Amino acid sequence: MSGYETIIYEKKGKLAFITLNRPQMLNIYNLRMRDELYEVLGAVKEDSEVYAVILKGAGEKAFCAGADLSEFLSAPSPTDARRSRWLRDVWGRFLSLPQPVIAALHGYVLGSGIEMSMCCDIRIASEDAQFGLPEVALGIIPAAGATQTVPRTIGPGRALDLLLTGRRINAREALQMKLINRVVAKERLLSEAESLAVKIAGWDQCAVRAIKQAVSRGLDLPLEEGLKLEKRLSCS
Amino acid sequence: MKDKLEITHPAKGLALLTINGTGKNNLADAGLAEELLQVCEDINFDSGIRAVIITGAAGKDFCTGTAGGKKSAFSLSGPVAALNCPVIAAIDGEASGMGLELALACDIRLASARARFSLPYIEKGLIPSDGATQRLPRLVGRAKAMELMLTGETISAQDALQIGLVNRVLPQKELLPSALEIGRDMAGKASLALKYCKEAVIKGLDMTLDQGLHLEGDLYFLLHTTNDRTEGINAFKEKRKPRFKGK
Repeated sequence: MSGYETIIYEKKGKLAFITLNRPQMLNIYNLRMRDELYEVLGAVKEDSEVYAVILKGAGEKAFCAGADLSEFLSAPSPTDARRSRWLRDVWGRFLSLPQPVIAALHGYVLGSGIEMSMCCDIRIASEDAQFGLPEVALGIIPAAGATQTVPRTIGPGRALDLLLTGRRINAREALQMKLINRVVAKERLLSEAESLAVKIAGWDQCAVRAIKQAVSRGLDLPLEEGLKLEKRLSCS
Repeated sequence: MKDKLEITHPAKGLALLTINGTGKNNLADAGLAEELLQVCEDINFDSGIRAVIITGAAGKDFCTGTAGGKKSAFSLSGPVAALNCPVIAAIDGEASGMGLELALACDIRLASARARFSLPYIEKGLIPSDGATQRLPRLVGRAKAMELMLTGETISAQDALQIGLVNRVLPQKELLPSALEIGRDMAGKASLALKYCKEAVIKGLDMTLDQGLHLEGDLYFLLHTTNDRTEGINAFKEKRKPRFKGK
């Protein structure tokens, strides 16, 4: 599995590893990365041998420090940009993965970096991780889902604090806010993520996928409909 | 005729609303609600205001609702929730009943270490009627919201921080200065981005995730037509401070 320029895709047993791989650029997200993620996520989605996925960043300094602003003013008209956003809906594809995805976060986790991690199901961070959503300072808002995924994860009060001020928080505060699930020492980040993935990959995969589906689809439904969905999924 | 709500402008684009209701416990009445409604409508109409801070008068509680916790026909939270720009609550002393419900309609809540919070309606055989049954569970989750409403108990600033009812707890002397600092910073940011960000979060929570993502996308691409967005990106590339105009 190669041919990618901005990411690395590897399979090990029942686990798949996606590594954001522009370490010299703090793994910032660009159009090439969008296209490569779109492709690889499509393959993961269809791959019944993959039981769990780990998303991580290459290099010492960052999981992902945001989007590549050098591409920003080169975009065509807003209507063209809107069209391509939904032609290649990388975030929709990410959220639709049936397998659990674990984000292993270190260093800078800013803008698109937070947003990508919010498309994952479980977030583990190392002690050096720093989080922030700096978009409003640039005269824009997040565009990879943060205005939706962050409030659904940590509630509207904490989400608005991060989104409207653009302030940076460290791993401890992120844990307290429930933005992440665990904080571990940096040298243990990947092993911790991997052992969690191995544990999940050891369960009955129908059950694992049903839980993910019941939770994520259920949050969009009135409680009664969510309970019916749970019942349907448990019988299949 | 503004005697229960004082309005000042500590910085360009920043409005500070100080509640000066009856007594030390800063009671709310129909007069305060009317002034608040008028002021909020004016702020939405006047695009010059980019951020709002709401606080209680010095030495008073933030706001403790109506006298004797009586049922009321007016709303404090409605006009504040309808504000398009970011709203910061700076809470010293007690925020209870309608006073807490007013704070729930704000976007960011700062509390002094001596702030206290409660919804004592149940003690009078009433239920919250200015938004708490809806906004509180959405903010702190169902379990904590139920506990506060069904027991009527008072919680401290630290407890409020832990459950996510407030964003930060500060020493009393630093409360207003911190709110002003955040407010000034927001007033200098791109006002349309702040408003659209708030809109995407609040409206998006009433939608399915997919619908919310489309709302975010549409607002994002609409911002691409603004001068502030071009200025923001250029300033970042040129490593200088952006000069936003709200256009």
